[in-house]
Amino acid sequence: MYLVADISVEICAAKSCKLCTQYCPEANTILYSDEMGKDKGFKYGSAYVAVDRCKGCAQCVWVCDNMAKNNAIKMIMIDQLPVAALTDNITYGEKSTTAALVSPVVG
Amino acid sequence: MSLDYVKFSSGFEKFMPKEYRDMVEHGPFGKKVSVSQMGSFKEVLEEHPMCAGCAMTLFIRLAMIAFPNPEDTITVGTAGCGRLAISQAAIPFVYGNYGDQNGVASGLSRGLRLRFGDKPKDVVVMAGDGGTADIGFQQVLHSWFRKERFTTIMLDNEVYGNTGGQESGMTNRGAVLKMAPLGKKFEKMDMLQMAKVAGCAYVATVVPNNPRRVESVIKKAVLIAREVGSTYIQAYTSCNIEYAIPTDKVMEDAKNVENDRYQFSEYITDEAKQFLTERYGYKEFLPKPAAPAPGLPKS
Repeated sequence: MYLVADISVEICAAKSCKLCTQYCPEANTILYSDEMGKDKGFKYGSAYVAVDRCKGCAQCVWVCDNMAKNNAIKMIMIDQLPVAALTDNITYGEKSTTAALVSPVVG
Repeated sequence: MSLDYVKFSSGFEKFMPKEYRDMVEHGPFGKKVSVSQMGSFKEVLEEHPMCAGCAMTLFIRLAMIAFPNPEDTITVGTAGCGRLAISQAAIPFVYGNYGDQNGVASGLSRGLRLRFGDKPKDVVVMAGDGGTADIGFQQVLHSWFRKERFTTIMLDNEVYGNTGGQESGMTNRGAVLKMAPLGKKFEKMDMLQMAKVAGCAYVATVVPNNPRRVESVIKKAVLIAREVGSTYIQAYTSCNIEYAIPTDKVMEDAKNVENDRYQFSEYITDEAKQFLTERYGYKEFLPKPAAPAPGLPKS
């Protein structure tokens, strides 16, 4: 098993600084979704991680803790995540993306 | 070399992989994107085999977003870590032999001008510190002296990262590396001064811990290279493997290095300032309104 980043929607959707999307070295790995926060009654949308692309470097954790000071991202073993976004289930829209969340561990 | 190459051939839409369909429908081609929109559009950079947490990858990712017209851009690279990511992008990539990337780019840039005339086609060289300052040094400097109109970006990780950690011309004095156990005995090369002496129209240093600045610097460099002359960007992109930086501390290291010896600097000639202002509407180079003389009553 290996670690991947997991973003707390409750904290992220309250602040929505989008810094982690700009500092991840992997392209299209930390994405932003309006509906992930707003549909649950939060003010903004939330960032989320496409776990099949995450290499587990934890740079986003440092950025979220020290630059944004939101402490919304934690590194979690991939089999501990109940559901997560995978690249194949992500749809791009005009200003945000939509992700169908599925179980990240296959088999 | 136009928007036509990022379209589906008719009848093939449903057979293309998802990444390709996303790229055509939601990629940056033909529209303006910026770093503030990251995470909501399909980027030209795809999955790549670079190490986890590599600052060079982050810089390349930002650079790909900053290109003013990605559909009219060709990147040129050479041996080194960077090409592992640069070649995994939806932008044509030319791989020069080690050290001749600026020679290849000179020919490419001239050929594109002959073929397409005034329609801007951008050539961007992205090579490591070894490819630019050591092995490709002669061709880099001569392309600048000839005022070849393309952008040279040095991905300065201060070491030969791909081959096990030998010292390069850009390694700092005293740095001890796996293949340089006694420490480097000479100073880091001052490529910025050399670029200015050689006649580059725009010279800048950046560190990727400020994405907006990286974006603005690369945009300016590529636009100036369309008509005015050579442009050079030197980017600090640490090697977390050879310098043993924990991956979650890479941005902390970038911040420290930026404060210490890699401060942001920008050199731009008057001709380039005038070009950006008149052609692309840049306001930052306009003369500031004169301050009212002291002692006069405020109206």
